Amino acid sequence: MKLDNMFKKNQELVAESKDNEPKSEVPEGLLRKCNLCKKVILTEEVENGYYICPKCGGYYHVPAMQRIEMVADAGSFEEWDREMRPVNPMRYKGYLEKLKLQQEKTGLKEAVVTGKARIDGEEVVLGVCDGRFLMASMGENVGEKIARAVERATELKLPVIMFACSGGARMQEGIVSLMQMAKTSAALKRHSEAGLLYISVFTDPTTGGVTASFAMLGDIILAEPGALIGFAGPRVIEQTIRQKLPKGFQRSEFLLEHGFLDGIVERKEQKETLARILKLHKKQEMSGEALKKPAVKLIEKKKKRLEAWDRVLKSRKSDRPSGSDYIRALFTDFIEFHGDRYYGDDAAIVGGVARFHGMPVTVIAQEKGSNTKENILHNFGMPKPEGYRKALRLMKQAEKFGRPVICFVDTPGAFCGIEAEERGQGEAIARNIYEMSALKVPVLSVVVGEGGSGGALALATSDEVWILENAVYSILSPEGFSSILWKDSSKAKEAAKVMKMTAENLYKQQIVEQVFEEPEELTAENIDVVTDKMDAAMLAFFGKYGKLSAEELQEHRYQRFRQM
Amino acid sequence: MIRKILIANRGEIAVRIIRACREMSIATVAVYSEADREALHAKLADEAICIGEAPASESYLSMERIISAAVVSGADAVHPGFGFLSENSKFADLCRQCGITFIGPDAEVIEKLGNKQEARKTMIEAGVPVIPGTEEALEDWQEAFKAAKKVGYPLMIKAALGGGGKGMREVYDPAGFEEAFRTAQKEAVSGFGDGRMYLERLIQNPRHIEFQILADNYGNVVHLGERDCSIQRNHQKLIEEAPSMVLTEKMREKMGEAAVKAAKAAGYVNAGTIEFLLDKGNHFYFMEMNTRIQVEHPVTEWVTGVDLVKAQIKIAAGEKLEFAQKDIRIQGHAIECRINAENPEKGFKPSPGTVQDMYLPGGKGIRIDTAVYSGYTIPVWYDSMIAKLIVWGKGRKEAIRKMQSALGEVIIEGVDTNVDYQYEILHDQDYLDGNIDVEFIQRFSEMQDSAK
Repeated sequence: MKLDNMFKKNQELVAESKDNEPKSEVPEGLLRKCNLCKKVILTEEVENGYYICPKCGGYYHVPAMQRIEMVADAGSFEEWDREMRPVNPMRYKGYLEKLKLQQEKTGLKEAVVTGKARIDGEEVVLGVCDGRFLMASMGENVGEKIARAVERATELKLPVIMFACSGGARMQEGIVSLMQMAKTSAALKRHSEAGLLYISVFTDPTTGGVTASFAMLGDIILAEPGALIGFAGPRVIEQTIRQKLPKGFQRSEFLLEHGFLDGIVERKEQKETLARILKLHKKQEMSGEALKKPAVKLIEKKKKRLEAWDRVLKSRKSDRPSGSDYIRALFTDFIEFHGDRYYGDDAAIVGGVARFHGMPVTVIAQEKGSNTKENILHNFGMPKPEGYRKALRLMKQAEKFGRPVICFVDTPGAFCGIEAEERGQGEAIARNIYEMSALKVPVLSVVVGEGGSGGALALATSDEVWILENAVYSILSPEGFSSILWKDSSKAKEAAKVMKMTAENLYKQQIVEQVFEEPEELTAENIDVVTDKMDAAMLAFFGKYGKLSAEELQEHRYQRFRQM
Repeated sequence: MIRKILIANRGEIAVRIIRACREMSIATVAVYSEADREALHAKLADEAICIGEAPASESYLSMERIISAAVVSGADAVHPGFGFLSENSKFADLCRQCGITFIGPDAEVIEKLGNKQEARKTMIEAGVPVIPGTEEALEDWQEAFKAAKKVGYPLMIKAALGGGGKGMREVYDPAGFEEAFRTAQKEAVSGFGDGRMYLERLIQNPRHIEFQILADNYGNVVHLGERDCSIQRNHQKLIEEAPSMVLTEKMREKMGEAAVKAAKAAGYVNAGTIEFLLDKGNHFYFMEMNTRIQVEHPVTEWVTGVDLVKAQIKIAAGEKLEFAQKDIRIQGHAIECRINAENPEKGFKPSPGTVQDMYLPGGKGIRIDTAVYSGYTIPVWYDSMIAKLIVWGKGRKEAIRKMQSALGEVIIEGVDTNVDYQYEILHDQDYLDGNIDVEFIQRFSEMQDSAK
């Protein structure tokens, strides 16, 4: 049954009520339209909720002062250099008037707000761009304020956090704007040379001269989800190359994948994340607690002798704990950082900062994953050049901040493929060995599964190398060995024996310093049988190496490999 | 004066409100979702506005869209019906901010009564009896044990953050208290990460008795007697009747007075319902106040002769109540059965679909409120209630006979319904004897299962 226009209606009533006197209306500002999902939303809900659309979850641009409220402890912000004399280096017509108009509109004096604040009690120098002010473009005063803030941070020995968003250099101030890129970058270089931390947070949109200067120079670079980040703007690129750009191009997620971001952080989690990173970078002596603990006897009488090949198989077992299981078991407060800052982020290597008995450390692990889906994601633990470069970047950062480095080695070998060669797999491994040999902080490596050749050594040019009872470490896989030397890959079992690749062999050859006994079947469930002992041994390690000077560490490491 | 009302609802209640407006010469605006293009309320109203996609969150729960529709159509009032936004204080506040009359109490009153602790406090202050319990959270069992003495046994231990029966224990005597408290607390800590507990007297096999009240803007509050809604499955009412056969005139007066007191204490205006639990010893306890028109309002309408929806509109328009307490007389007996598109054989699984053919009973003393018609497709998106069958008789016996007869006439083809299930309840000896409480359905279902 169709009911369209079947019922009698009160037409005259409708007409009458239309020209009725007092009309209901929506008060100004009560409702607004989300310019992302186009839905009508309640303004109040947006403002209470971190400037996020209550309907689509999309992010709106946040005015500088609200951004500061979002991340800084209440009432802790002290603004610096608010009053700057407006400049017009090119005497560009109408520019000063435009500045004045922007000032009235936004209540700001310039496109960046700088000052000192506390985040969860930690003192920082904070700079926040405000996109409402001439697209937060960088002219002389913006550059000057940032440079001054960074200089003061260097003086006060404080970390810097910058929230970037910008259309780039400010056109109206011409070449002077371009020079701000150099001015701000140079100030940050000095800040970094002083061993201080700089965290950059990209917000939507950041392009041009700001991306190509201070925003990309963070020790740690974070971004909000979905933010547009690029050097050339997407429209310029499209017009130049006459092609449509793919979806997601130049967005945060794209940059993360391409190795330029350490992480993407939701707005609601930014304060907590920043506080955690700040606390992990506080100067702290290496713990000396170690000496109180008795040394642990690590090699014990074996219950049952296993063939070398059996151990090879054990080291490859899919339910063996993976790199991140060791991170979970031995450390707290782990925060993962991504990317090599050149090409990509390799999931075969997981790295970041964590705490070991409260002491900040850099942890790097080769990761195979624990099921087929994860295996594929982590490329079966076979790193590509960008993986090694990420590891090196994290190690250099550890050196800057005086943190020891702990590496967990578990790889069949460095990834073998066309793109790995194109990007210089050999160079990447060589560079890691070269740089690791002279790192000024203690470096410890633990072979927890397969130690596959150069792919393993690139994370094991360390002060000490430890190994698990059933882990292996060799020049090549036994399959490869038998095929090269005997032209018969089926003799892998025999090769495993000849290669002297088991923990026991390696210990005897003084390739490794310690061996950790394993339970019958080592899995993520009983990992603490191993990690409890490792924990004690690590305390002893830091007790010993934490006391050495940079030169002593370098010399010790040099001699370790010099004698092999 | 109200000239045009937007009905922010769907289904039979939207139709019910539109009918009241038609009788009162008020223009109506229906809002509907994309799934409700063919819905009766959208066809019957003078105007209809599509407000969004099928999910309620995108349509009937979207305050912004409903407000926009009201402003665009020039409606000067919004009737929220029940469910959806009817007890959303923010929505009431938004209407007010936009100069639209919300047909219901003030936002602040909705907010206050919607907060369990707050409502309870208001009632205690007004001297309305509440279920004895602890006001402060307890963590230490010995302290709780002391508090239990005051609350009285049997009692219920409840986790502050509890839900779904987790962190809940019934305790019948002091001997079992310690263990029950410890295990409930353990469950609460592991389930919700919070070990704060409350105690509450356990009211065994109570009846659900609720009182309808009407309050105008001039401080007049009148109650319209009670409804017995003890026949419920998982807190979902199935059959409601008025009056309750267990209330004496004196008891009705006492509970009615308490209801009026409760409404006054809350500063209540418009139609509302105060829900009580009534135990075997005729003690009653305030449970909560519903700040809207209720599904079961027709039974009250029939025994009092008051049109509750019209009364709501008149109160919202600023009119005085047309009657005082002494004018209210309860006459005869009314019963309502909710007809749902669901399959009692399959665990009451909802059964949306197209109603191929339909025949509904009529005649003296029979009322049907529905939005379903032949050829109508019941959408999967909303609740499964498709009709309310209401009967009136001089006494309970006549009403029951009428309901039995009417249920026996209902034909709905194309979807599964609970008509036969209702029919069986109407023939259950305990039901016939009026031997009912909130556990009735559980007993009834168990008996049915064992009979199979």
